[in-house]
Amino acid sequence: MTPREHREKAEKIERSLGKCAPADYEMRIEAAMLAGTHWLNLVLHRMGVTLPQNDVLHTYMLTVNELRRYKVADEELVNALAEIEDIRPAFVRGPLPGGEEAADRAVRLLGLLRAKALA
Amino acid sequence: MNVASHLEKIGKLETLRTRLDPLEDFELWFWSAMNAGTHAVNAALHHAGVTRPDDVFPTQPGVYLIPQPDRSLKPGFHPLGDILHVGRPPVEGAIPEDVARMMKEMEIIEHHRDPCIRGERTPTREIADECDRALRSVLEILDRRLPGARR
Repeated sequence: MTPREHREKAEKIERSLGKCAPADYEMRIEAAMLAGTHWLNLVLHRMGVTLPQNDVLHTYMLTVNELRRYKVADEELVNALAEIEDIRPAFVRGPLPGGEEAADRAVRLLGLLRAKALA
Repeated sequence: MNVASHLEKIGKLETLRTRLDPLEDFELWFWSAMNAGTHAVNAALHHAGVTRPDDVFPTQPGVYLIPQPDRSLKPGFHPLGDILHVGRPPVEGAIPEDVARMMKEMEIIEHHRDPCIRGERTPTREIADECDRALRSVLEILDRRLPGARR
């Protein structure tokens, strides 16, 4: 996807995120993951690190080599998305207490990804 | 995850979907449907005794976050509990016919995941309707297997 398309998708997902209540923490976390991935791809494309036909799906699916390369480009952004992804198992796929707080954290990390992508 | 927790997640996701527009909010609407359907398949697989209803949470096929006595979570290998998506990982063993039909319906939804959520395909009313029909079918089959379990 092109940077413009990533931005449009991320912004659309974030508008939908605004319709979620705190109790919808599963989808708030998922929205942060989905939109955050689009923001990271926008940044990597803009920097010329990846091509539009080579999008990151999840940081944990990257090869070690790719992960290291993308961290050279922007370690803070890669780490932000990885942290959102790591929140998912316990609260999206699991029923552990603290989901609303975990979602708040994911949305804050999404804000970091968005801010850097739009800088 | 245990069956009751899967059912509770389905209820939450279905409630949220009523507040989302199938086209205007397609991505989250779709993602909620996909998650609800996957919870339904997991609940049915547990109920059928094909997979384990353990309260461990998958991070990748075969690896789960496992609660420790001190309440921390530790990744570890674990027998098949919850699947992440239909087909990830494939489920070994005899799958009852009704659960197999649920999984077939989920493949209809999963088919649209990458093109519409991570790709350039524009979601259409037809795609949304197809996904909605598939999820309705998944939940109806679940309700026949677990009558009265979903509130």
